[in-house]
Amino acid sequence: MHVKDIMSKKVISVKRSTTLHQLLKLFDRFHIFPLVPVVEEDGKLIGIVSFKNLINVFSPRHTEIVKNIPFVDEEDEDIFNVELTKEMGSLILVADIMETHFVAIKEDESLEKAFGVMKLYLKEEIPVVDNKGVLVGMIGVFDIVRQLFSQKGII
Amino acid sequence: MNSILSLGFILVAGLLSAKVIKKAKFPAVTAYLMLGIIIGPSILKLVSGEVLGASSLISNVVLGIIAFGIGENFSRENFRRVGASVVWISILEACGAWILVTLVFLFILKQPFYISLLFGAIASATAPAATIMVIREYQSKGVLTDTLMGVVAIDDAWCLIIFAVSLAISQAIFAHIIDAFSIFKVFMQSVFNILGAFILGGAAALALSYFSRFIRTQTELLIYTLGCILSVIGIALWLDLSVLLANMFLGAVLVNSDRSAFKFFESLKTVDPPLFLLFFVLAGANLELALMPKLGLLGLTYLVVRVAGKLSGASIGAHISHATSVVKKYLGWGLIPQAGVALGCALIAKGDFPIVGDMIFTTIVATTVVYELFGPLCTRYALHKAGEVATEHTK
Repeated sequence: MHVKDIMSKKVISVKRSTTLHQLLKLFDRFHIFPLVPVVEEDGKLIGIVSFKNLINVFSPRHTEIVKNIPFVDEEDEDIFNVELTKEMGSLILVADIMETHFVAIKEDESLEKAFGVMKLYLKEEIPVVDNKGVLVGMIGVFDIVRQLFSQKGII
Repeated sequence: MNSILSLGFILVAGLLSAKVIKKAKFPAVTAYLMLGIIIGPSILKLVSGEVLGASSLISNVVLGIIAFGIGENFSRENFRRVGASVVWISILEACGAWILVTLVFLFILKQPFYISLLFGAIASATAPAATIMVIREYQSKGVLTDTLMGVVAIDDAWCLIIFAVSLAISQAIFAHIIDAFSIFKVFMQSVFNILGAFILGGAAALALSYFSRFIRTQTELLIYTLGCILSVIGIALWLDLSVLLANMFLGAVLVNSDRSAFKFFESLKTVDPPLFLLFFVLAGANLELALMPKLGLLGLTYLVVRVAGKLSGASIGAHISHATSVVKKYLGWGLIPQAGVALGCALIAKGDFPIVGDMIFTTIVATTVVYELFGPLCTRYALHKAGEVATEHTK
């Protein structure tokens, strides 16, 4: 069995130009913020936005460049006292907060491989791409576990 | 105090001192270094001799990890992100300090060429922690802030290259100082040292990437990455190659050849903070205060000329790359702090050159304290002048 056989094909994705306001609005009925794939116009996967990246809105200088510099002190994010204005909802774009170093898996990989990748990177779900790098779905640990339960006749 | 108690004390006291100094808006590295000087053999004598004796081991391990991390910044993606202007400015400000300090030490202070070259090379380093802390504190925004962030992110890589070249030349001159001075021998030894480090780092990166397919968990990944870095450090020391360059090339080749290379760098972030703390405290503890009075003129000259080199180099780089006038005028003032990489290079010099090494190391530790205390003030001045400080702080 392959990733494409059990992955979720209906995926909410965003563009680089999606604003913070639009992004939050998409998930305002969710009780957790999911892993959101970021795609180009042609559907190519170029990044992800996770809850961790969303928190970075409170520390605007935590860019990818700073992450790689040695000895830089961690910033104490006092999220209750950060000045956030209403305009920031439309000024902050997905491109400003997305992560470009991410892990994805190809649709024709095995479930064992997908499970191994998620275990190694400590992820509960990852995006699925085709051979051209176009986003085609998402797969999570739960999808794989559910499949195993199903095979054993438990569900 | 026994060694284990000494290590425990260093870690706890380091953490506390960082928390205290943070109130005064200074980075943790300044606290670690000052703590080291206070608890070291020159003042309170609270660090056991065994721990001090292990300084060289800890420094080599930490320097390998630092250089590996600096290699991560050497990616095509990062160069594209910061832009050509930042790359030029960073090269020229590093070279500016290198050349100016070398020339002044050689011709005005009449120091031997190999000593001048080492001081010059160490002068090319900057310390991003203090600069980034000021940027965060002021929530500054603008072209100067962006350029400064880009420059401090990549310039340590140039420093490592400059230091490796200078060290190779200095070692070669030092080794042949009794014989007739042979330029060819010096050149060949330098080339061997640098090329060897590149081959070692590159080959190790390809092996690290290839065999990582057998890694299944985060724990295995951390052990594997650390094991590879230590092996590269060990082989570099064994073959007399540059530890710094070999590990920087390990990181650089890895990040440019393996799309999932970020996993190796991420895994190390769980172990490096206590190692970095130990590195800085031990660097401070190794300072010989008794040597300080003898270094007055040398230290003072280094302090002033390095700043002049940074300012002029940054300004020339900004002119060449057609940067805006605020960048041309004020960028250099954000590049004054000096810490981890400079201390690391000084420790290597201390290990490689028995007598002059102590003098170089003491000068660098003492000037680091001055730069770390005054550097943030210079960065604040630059950001104010450029009008990039958020309004509430300018009132």
